[in-house]
Amino acid sequence: MGEYMERVKSALANLEDDDLASLLREALEAGEEAADLLAAMSEAMVEVGERFEAGEYYLADLVLAGEVMKDGVAVLEPHLSAGDKGAKGTVVICTVKGDIHDIGKNLVGTMLSSAGFQVVDLGVDVPADKVVEAVKANSARAVGLSVLLTTMVGSVGEVVDSLKEAGLRDGVKVAVGGACVTDEVVERYGADAMGRDAVEAVRIFSGWME
Amino acid sequence: MSDKHRRVLDALELREPDRVPVMDLMNEFSTCNAILEKKPNPLGKMLRDPRASKLMDRLFALPGSAQLTDREMERFTHLGAAAAVRMDYDAAWLSCFPVLRFRDSRTMTDIFGRLCDVSVDAAGNLANPIYREGLIKSPADWNAWPKRDILRLPEKVNRVFREVQQAYGDRLFIFAFANYGLFENAWQPMGFERFAVAARKEKDFLRRVIRFYADLHCMLVEAAADAGVPGFIHTDDLAYKSGPMLSPRLIDELFGEHYRRLTETARALGVKIVMHSCGNTTSLLEHFVSWGFDAVHPLEPTAGVDLAAAKREVGDRLCLIGNLDITHVLVDATREEVFEAVRQAISDAGKGGGFILAPDHSHPDISVQRLRWMVEAAREYGAYPLKNQDMRG
Repeated sequence: MGEYMERVKSALANLEDDDLASLLREALEAGEEAADLLAAMSEAMVEVGERFEAGEYYLADLVLAGEVMKDGVAVLEPHLSAGDKGAKGTVVICTVKGDIHDIGKNLVGTMLSSAGFQVVDLGVDVPADKVVEAVKANSARAVGLSVLLTTMVGSVGEVVDSLKEAGLRDGVKVAVGGACVTDEVVERYGADAMGRDAVEAVRIFSGWME
Repeated sequence: MSDKHRRVLDALELREPDRVPVMDLMNEFSTCNAILEKKPNPLGKMLRDPRASKLMDRLFALPGSAQLTDREMERFTHLGAAAAVRMDYDAAWLSCFPVLRFRDSRTMTDIFGRLCDVSVDAAGNLANPIYREGLIKSPADWNAWPKRDILRLPEKVNRVFREVQQAYGDRLFIFAFANYGLFENAWQPMGFERFAVAARKEKDFLRRVIRFYADLHCMLVEAAADAGVPGFIHTDDLAYKSGPMLSPRLIDELFGEHYRRLTETARALGVKIVMHSCGNTTSLLEHFVSWGFDAVHPLEPTAGVDLAAAKREVGDRLCLIGNLDITHVLVDATREEVFEAVRQAISDAGKGGGFILAPDHSHPDISVQRLRWMVEAAREYGAYPLKNQDMRG
């Protein structure tokens, strides 16, 4: 790995974010490929995830890394070709109907993008039919549903049922995350997996895309 | 001192009472109305009715509409107390929360800078507003934010809790809740993404905000104490499902001294103070002790908190409150399941006192029948000396 790649990776992994955008611009001007810089940032996010799982980093650190990553991608974006992004597959994510909490969902989106997924983020308070439409339109192989409110957990079942009715369920995996989600919720509403945090979510989706 | 006060106080001071006390969070109109067999306030249905909601939109634009909302929230404190007495709880978390401001029939702000969606439950009750985003994004926003209503909060809280304490205080150990916690008021009015950046790069700004709210909280404890209320809840969700949202070291650095000032204020006034934090708080338990709290709630089982382990770790220094699951046990479990959950919780944490049984949260779908079973089971398994204990308890 070249000098710029090491510096980019180190800046992001150590959350020394003050100069990352200018460092990326400098690297591009020096002739580094945007795709290589993006790969270095993705490696850094993997390290951030590992440090999170090891208890060295906390949710706020993951969010900060995600914000820095987004700023960095914005610098690289004009220099990236379509093939550089989303090579691992497409995941549709949203916060379910009736719920508008989005910290966890946004973080999952950022971490999935960093890990090489194409992410279609439908936002918050999303009805089941919109999820089905997005799965069809993007040929997504997986759906990530976020739900914090206990009273809205039934919306997970609505998405699963709508995917079945549309004949898509066999080809689409469904993962659920959020404060009120338990193994029992996964079983009751017919989802496939539960992610306790964004790092686990990446592992789940990566497993499904292999 | 009533039997209930003595029972709760014994538990809070880590002595064995005559039996494990039971408390609840009276935070939902739906639960309180169901307990008291009252119909929902028509406001909820009006907000969801297309024609009535247009009228409400105009009403909320009028100056003075905030007073109507405040009055409704003050009424709610009385409603919660009456419902808790009807359930024969030993203690109750009562909310006095005259802080919400309708923008229109769909959205509201609060006086601290949150933007929320208005929420109405299936029965037509006004439910807890759903946080959408923060409105204070910078030091300039904070400086410009109107603080008059915030500064008037202690007076309102004092007045409402004085009335409630006089009306119900002999039949209920009241824990007053009157504001979001220091951490929540630091991050929610700016949003978590913005806060995550500020926690690293703008600590001076954050410290100003935290100090402001710490001063306010100390005044709220004074207001509750002056009203004669014996307990205070500091509700501050520091954790989520898999652990603290910030590193415990950073939480201590930013908030620790202020939590200590708050608990010292309560102690000087003879008020018991409880830290409420949802999520997996296992790695924060020692901090709760060092910050001086008397008790911690809710020790959420679905977030992975092991109640027996918490008892072993801090049970000799901190009263444990809660642990009854509200995703299944208090919603749609069988009577046997509710009894078993209560028996297990008491077995895990009841030994030697220092445990108050309570739901781990509130929401509109909690079943009153299951709350009654919870009380019944606590009577059956909670009498000291305890029986039916697991060896690990």
